[in-house]
Amino acid sequence: MSARLNRVRLRLRDLAAGAAFGSLVISWQLPSVLLLLAAAGFVLALFDRRPFGDRHLVGGVFLLLAGALCFGMVWKGPVDLVVGACCFATLLTLQRMLSAPGPAVDAQVNLASLLMVAGGGALSGDLLYAPMLALYAVFSILAMGLGVVSATVAPGTTFPLRRVLLPLSVGAGLAMVLGLTFFILFPRLSWNMAGGRVSTGLGPVTTGFSDQVRLGGSGSIKSNPRVVARVHLSPDPGDEALNRYWIGRTYDTFDGVRWTAQSTPVETEGQIRLSHGGDRLIHQEIELLPAYGARTALALEAPSLFGGAVANTHKGRRRTRMQRLENSEIRFEREAPGYDYHAYSLPADVTREVPALTTGDLDRARSLPADLDPRIPALAQRLLAGEQDPLRAAERLARHLSTRFRYSMELPGEHPDALSHFLFERQEGHCEHFATALTVLLRTQGIPARLATGFFGGERLGDDYILRAGDAHAWTQVLVPGRGWVSVDATPPAFRSAQPEPFLTWLVDRYEALEERWCNSVVDYDIRDQWAFLSGMLSDRERHDVLAGEVVEARPRRALGMGLGAFFGVLLLGWILERRVRRPRSDPATRFHHRLRRTVQRDPTIGAGLARGVPIEELARRLRQTDHPAATPLDDAVRRYLEARFGSRPLGAREASQLLQRLRSALGTAARSS
Amino acid sequence: MSSPAVSAPSPAFGQRLWARLRRPDWPRRLKVTGTGRTYLMVTLGVGIGALNTGNNLLYLLLGLLLGVIVLSGLLSERVLRGLHVERVGADALHAREPGTFRWRLSRERGHAFAIEVREVHAELTGRATAAILGPGRSHVLRGQVTAPRRGPLVLEAVDVSTTWPFGLFAKSRRFPIPGEVLVLPARIRVRGEVPRAHQGLAGEDGRARFQDGEGDLAGLRELADGEDARRIHWLKSASSQKLVRAERDREERQTVELVLETGPSRAALDRRCEELAAQARTLMARGIEVGLTVGPVRLRPSIGPAHLRRLLTALARAGFSTPPVTREVA
Repeated sequence: MSARLNRVRLRLRDLAAGAAFGSLVISWQLPSVLLLLAAAGFVLALFDRRPFGDRHLVGGVFLLLAGALCFGMVWKGPVDLVVGACCFATLLTLQRMLSAPGPAVDAQVNLASLLMVAGGGALSGDLLYAPMLALYAVFSILAMGLGVVSATVAPGTTFPLRRVLLPLSVGAGLAMVLGLTFFILFPRLSWNMAGGRVSTGLGPVTTGFSDQVRLGGSGSIKSNPRVVARVHLSPDPGDEALNRYWIGRTYDTFDGVRWTAQSTPVETEGQIRLSHGGDRLIHQEIELLPAYGARTALALEAPSLFGGAVANTHKGRRRTRMQRLENSEIRFEREAPGYDYHAYSLPADVTREVPALTTGDLDRARSLPADLDPRIPALAQRLLAGEQDPLRAAERLARHLSTRFRYSMELPGEHPDALSHFLFERQEGHCEHFATALTVLLRTQGIPARLATGFFGGERLGDDYILRAGDAHAWTQVLVPGRGWVSVDATPPAFRSAQPEPFLTWLVDRYEALEERWCNSVVDYDIRDQWAFLSGMLSDRERHDVLAGEVVEARPRRALGMGLGAFFGVLLLGWILERRVRRPRSDPATRFHHRLRRTVQRDPTIGAGLARGVPIEELARRLRQTDHPAATPLDDAVRRYLEARFGSRPLGAREASQLLQRLRSALGTAARSS
Repeated sequence: MSSPAVSAPSPAFGQRLWARLRRPDWPRRLKVTGTGRTYLMVTLGVGIGALNTGNNLLYLLLGLLLGVIVLSGLLSERVLRGLHVERVGADALHAREPGTFRWRLSRERGHAFAIEVREVHAELTGRATAAILGPGRSHVLRGQVTAPRRGPLVLEAVDVSTTWPFGLFAKSRRFPIPGEVLVLPARIRVRGEVPRAHQGLAGEDGRARFQDGEGDLAGLRELADGEDARRIHWLKSASSQKLVRAERDREERQTVELVLETGPSRAALDRRCEELAAQARTLMARGIEVGLTVGPVRLRPSIGPAHLRRLLTALARAGFSTPPVTREVA
C-alpha cells in the first residue's frame, strides 16, 4: 500500500472525526474532562501517535471504563441519556482512532464519528453545526474513498493520489447537494418537536441577571454586540431605533457596595398580571436567545401582563409557568437556554395603576447604607435646593449627573466606597454608577427610589426589534404619588444603549443574519414550509395554506420551469465540459500537419494539387521536381513534421510558426512572380 | 488467438432499454458490505430519530446519508460503464493449487477505481484487483485462482465488481465471455515405486549409428534433397561452399509407457491421473522419456516441458467427453 496514500487517508479520517467531535462541542453540553481528553486524543492522532496500537486488551478495558463512566453519569444525573450516549460515542471514536489502523478500524472510526454527528444534531441547533457537518461530510467521504482504493493497491506500489481525490471531491460536493435536496423534499411526517435556538453560539452567555448588582468593575458589556432578544411589537411603532426601557429586575436594598432585592416567589401561574391595562396595550412577542442566559422575563416599561411562555430546551419546546417575585420580577419556572413568551405593556401616556406598597416596601425604598458618606446627603440637598416633588427632584439630579459626570467603561480596580469615589473623586463611571448615585441621592432626601436593570434600546431588524448584550442598562425608578414607579435616567443619553465597535458589530450582525436564516430555513423548517415550497412551485395563484390558514406568498409556475431548466442546463454544461475535457487533444505534430495542409490548400496555384487523400510529401516531391519557389520551405516543413511525428523530435510552437511563415512568404513570392 | 472482448452496451437508448427488458437478469448486481450494513442501520436510526422528534438537523444528516448512498450508486456505475473485458487465462492451472489467472481490462474514458475481477464459475475461486484503471490503454490484471478438480471448466462470464467509492456496496457487472479453462491434475508426490524404464536404443531400428541421432558427431556429408535442414552444419557448409549435414550417433534412451486405465469412478480416475502426472514429472526429471496411453489416444515417449504439458493435458481431459467448444485459455 502506498505510504502516502495511507498517511493522507488516516489524516482525513481523523479530521472527519475531529469535525464530528466539533459538532458535539458546540452544544456546550459535554463534560469538560471529556473535552480535554478528546482534544488530547485528536492531537495525538493528528501526529500519528496511536498509543492503543494493537493492544486489544488495553483498548477493551478503556472502552469498558468509558461505558461505565457514561452509564454512571447518566445514572447519577449530571447528564441526560443523549449526552451520555454522545460521550460514549466520543470515547469509542477516540479508542478506535488511537488503535492500529486497518480497514475494519477505519470503518469503525467513520461510523462512530457518524454517531457523534447525529448526537451533535440532537444536542445543538447552532449555525456552527452546518460547517461542522459539511467538514465531516467532505473529510469522511474522502477518507472512505481512499480507504476503498487503498485496499486494492498492491504493496510497494505508488498511487496517483490526485486522480482519486478529484472525483471524490466532486462527489463530496454532489453528496451535499443531494443531501440538501433530500432535506427539502423528505416528507415531514411529524411536527418539529425539537427546541428552537438552544445553543449560545458565539461563546458563553453575557447578560445573565444576578441576584445582586455589585458597584464597580468595568462595563465591558456595553461593547458586546451579540443579539440576546428578538421582539415583535404590535402595534408596530415603525421607528428604526426604539430607545425604550426594557425592564427586567429592580433592586431596593443598597449596602454601600451591592444592590439586592427580595426574590421570594409570591405567585406561579401560566399568566401573570401586574396591572390592568385597557385596550391600548403594546403586545410584545419576545424570544429570549440563549445568549441572554437568565430566567428573568423582559418587557417594555411598564409591563402589565406576561404569559404563553415556552422554554426552548435541548429536548424540545416545553411550556413553562411564570413566577412573580416580591420585587415584581417575572421569572420563568423552568430553566432553559431560551424562551418564547408574550408580554403586554402600557403605553407611556396611559395613567398607570399605583401599586399598593407596604410600609416595608417604602422603608426599603428609602433605606440608606449605614456608613453613607455624609457628603452625599449634603450634595443632594445642595443640588435640590428644597425641591420636594419627587419627579422634578429626580430629573434635576439626573440632569446634574448626566451633564457634569463623564461616562466611562474603563474603571480599573475596586474601591471600598465606590459611590463616593464616583461622586467626589473620579466623577466618571458607567450606568450602574449613575443609577446608584441618583437613587441614593434621592433617598437621602426621603424620596423613595430603587435601581432598575434591564435593557435600553431596540434596533429595527426587518419587522422586529433586537436587543443586544450591550443594551444592558441600569437606571433609577422614583416613586411618584399618583403615578407609581417612574423611570429617571442619570446616564448621559448617548451612552444608554450599546456602544459596540463598528467592525465587531458588522461581523456579529453578519453572523446573526446567517444564524437567523439558518434557523428559519433549516432549524424551523417544517411541514408547512415544505407544503408551501412544493405547492408554490406548482401553483400560479396566491392560495391559502390549508394547514395554517394563512395566505402563502405566491410563486409563479415558471419557477418550476426555471428550476428544471437550470437543472438540465447544468447537466448539459457538465456533459459538454466533460466531452471537451476528455476529448484527446491531437499532438503538436498532427496539429502542425493540419495547419500545413490548410496553408498549402489556400494557395491558388498549388492548393488544387493537395486534394483529400494526397499526402503532403507527394506534393513536396512534385514541387521539388518543378523547382517551385516554395519547394524548399515546404520540404523543410514536411521533414520537420515527420521528425516530430515519428522521430521523437519535439516541435515547438515558435518553430512551427516560423516554418509556416517561411512557407507563406515563399508562396506569396511565387504568386507575385507568376 | 482472438479473444472476445465485451464492451459497454450499445449507445442507443432504445436498444439498451430493449436489451434490458429482454434479459431476465439485471445487468448490475448489488451486495451490501459489512460496513454498508452498519451504515444502513445508522441511517435507519437517524431517520427514525428525525421522524420521531422532527429535529431538522437530524433530517439534514439523514439527507446527507441518503445523498451518500445515491452518490455511491452513481460513482460505482461510472466505474463499471465503458469497461472492456477480455479473458487472457492461465499458463498452467493445477487442481487444488492457486494459479495465476489473467484478465485484460480497458476503458476509453475516465478512471476506474477499486476494481475486482473474477470468473463466474462455482468451482473457480479467486480474484484479481486493481486500484486504478486509466483510460486509453489496456491493463492486465493477475489474480490467484483455485479449482478443486482437474478437467475442463466451461466458463460463461466474467464478473467485474467495485466497492468504489465508499465501500458500502459492492456493485458488479457481468460480462458474458464464453470460454474454457483446463485444470491440470493436482501436483502430488509420487506414491510407491515409479515404473521401471525400458532401456535401449530408441528409433525405428536398433542400430547405433543412425543418421537422425542426437548423440556424438559421427561424420559429415553433403545434404541430400529432402533432408531436414536442421541437420546442416553451418560452419562446415560455409567453409566448403556447399550445404553439409552432420551425422550423429543415436543415444541410448530410457523410456516408460504410462497407461491410464479408463473405467473407474471419477474420484479414482482423478487420483490415478494425479499419480500418473506425478510419475511423468518424476521420470522426466530423471531424463526418462515418458509416453502415455489414454484409451485410444497414445502419446509417444518423449521428454521436455512441451511434452509434459501434452501429457498433463491428456490426463486433464481423460474421462471428459466434452470437446473444447470455444476457446481454451489454459
